[in-house]
Amino acid sequence: MIEVKNLTFSYSKDKQALHGLDFTVEDGEIFGFLGPNGSGKSTTQKILTGILKGHGGKVSLFGQDISATHGPEFFQKIGVLFEFPYLYANLSAVDNLNYFASFYPKEQRRDVVELLETLEFKPDFLKKPVSSYSKGMRQRVSMARALVSNPRLLFLDEPTSGLDPSGAVLFRRIIEQERKKGTTVFVTTHNMMDADLLCDRIAFISNGNLVALDTPKRLKEKNSNHRVVIDYLYQGQRETKTIEAQELESGIPFAHDEIVSIHSQEPTLEDMFIQYTGRGLS
Amino acid sequence: MWKRFCALFKKDCRMLLSGKFFLMAVGFLALYTAYVNLGYIRFMQMPPYNVYLYDPAGTQTEVSSLVHAVASLEAMDAALLSDTNGVGLDASAEDVRVVLYAGAEHVDRHRADYALSLLRPSIGSALEIIGTNTPEQKARKEITCELLFFELAAVGFLGIAAVLFKEKGMGVIRVHAILPLRKNLFLLSKLVVFLLSDLVFAVLLTLLNVGLADGVALLPAVLLQTAILSLMMALVGLLCALLLKDFRQFTLAYLIIAIFAATPVFLSANTSVKFDWIGYHPFYHVYMGLKSAYFGAAVSPVYYIGSACAIALLFLAVQLAFRREMGKEG
Repeated sequence: MIEVKNLTFSYSKDKQALHGLDFTVEDGEIFGFLGPNGSGKSTTQKILTGILKGHGGKVSLFGQDISATHGPEFFQKIGVLFEFPYLYANLSAVDNLNYFASFYPKEQRRDVVELLETLEFKPDFLKKPVSSYSKGMRQRVSMARALVSNPRLLFLDEPTSGLDPSGAVLFRRIIEQERKKGTTVFVTTHNMMDADLLCDRIAFISNGNLVALDTPKRLKEKNSNHRVVIDYLYQGQRETKTIEAQELESGIPFAHDEIVSIHSQEPTLEDMFIQYTGRGLS
Repeated sequence: MWKRFCALFKKDCRMLLSGKFFLMAVGFLALYTAYVNLGYIRFMQMPPYNVYLYDPAGTQTEVSSLVHAVASLEAMDAALLSDTNGVGLDASAEDVRVVLYAGAEHVDRHRADYALSLLRPSIGSALEIIGTNTPEQKARKEITCELLFFELAAVGFLGIAAVLFKEKGMGVIRVHAILPLRKNLFLLSKLVVFLLSDLVFAVLLTLLNVGLADGVALLPAVLLQTAILSLMMALVGLLCALLLKDFRQFTLAYLIIAIFAATPVFLSANTSVKFDWIGYHPFYHVYMGLKSAYFGAAVSPVYYIGSACAIALLFLAVQLAFRREMGKEG
């Protein structure tokens, strides 16, 4: 679906934002693109969505070089959720969506009210102006805008931003459903839980360079110290021991009456983020 | 493409409706019409100065009806004291003596000549009148032209910038970057909305203030000039709104345009003040084009070529600024 080879981009002569990125995104994959602020995430997404021109290297979407695919036909196939909910504040959710949907062929459009229902949008607010909505409601309308054209390729920038935990779960479920329909999803996020739970593969970008790319599970395994922490009871006392994982192959290698819990000590995705990018989450 | 343009056009109309732009335009139309018909024309028909004549022996036989007779020199002094712009004529001696409170020298000469001319009103019939406009019609055309220029240059310019600043503030310009439409349509729809609105305004303002019969005859030329000015101002408004950070900066730019760009044009075109460099001022030519339309004068083809080039260049600049805005961060 997406093929990027040696992608470079400079805003000016002495301000190179991307230093030769290489990655591919397969059809129907959810691909996470993670990196600190200013690392080149947005620049990459803007190049992929056709907003920024003048890049170096080769970028293909839908099997075609991106430089040749920037007509309306290209934009009919993609949906983009921006980091902020950009909507007409004086129009209602329905009017906003009908307006944005009107640029797509009729047979491609989804029913606006049905879509908002799927996103658990409060029905009382359907015809009220966006200016009266909460951040979560605006994010729901923005997601509906990205989905209204049934895109084959979906770009999501911080999709669960501004949502409460149940809203975030709902959004993750909807993204999963889109993938099941065959949609390819390119997610840019700081939310490591979203990345961990949603993405088939993730790429870490730092200072315009791709520093790691793999499945979340393998990335964590690669960086694991292969130890396990065991909580157990022995002679009425609760104790904790850390051992090498391979020691478990021949059973629990110490005296105990009852095992309370066993935790692997693999790093979290957040630890990976800090390790690869050299920066914490902001 | 047509459907997409219609969607943009409809949305722009809704934005203008919700921003009460059309209501404001109707309000301005009513205000201008009331000003022209109830104020300006009556004011223009008033004599420029009151003239008071003291003629105890009745030596002046042809005196105009505009002259106020006074019974004594004291009465004339009292009249001039309360009306310091007035002119007194003392005909008690053989030669008529002019009495007035001094102002600027050239104005005082005009006041004196005007007062003396009212003692011989028949001289006016020997003057050769050029042109077919009555004084009232001339005044109506002049003021309508000025008001239309002001409306297009100032109010329309502010209107389009206000709409675009709203869209910029809401971030929706960036959404249009990823919609399946030719990006120029976004700009074109705005230009068409404002152009149509300005053309309707020009028709109504001209018919209401110049009169139906004269107005209809002028309309083709007036509408052509309106279209040129409307497109230019809309493009300048779009450019400023795209380049400037917020409405406060825009207001400053607007003041600069209003004070430094429009003022010398009005002065040069409507008064005896002439600047050597005014020929290089683009607004001057546009204003004179509009004035020529109201007075049926011919306009040079060079002006039309220049206008077309200016509109094309402005459109290119707006396009560049628009693409820059679409690529901006949130």
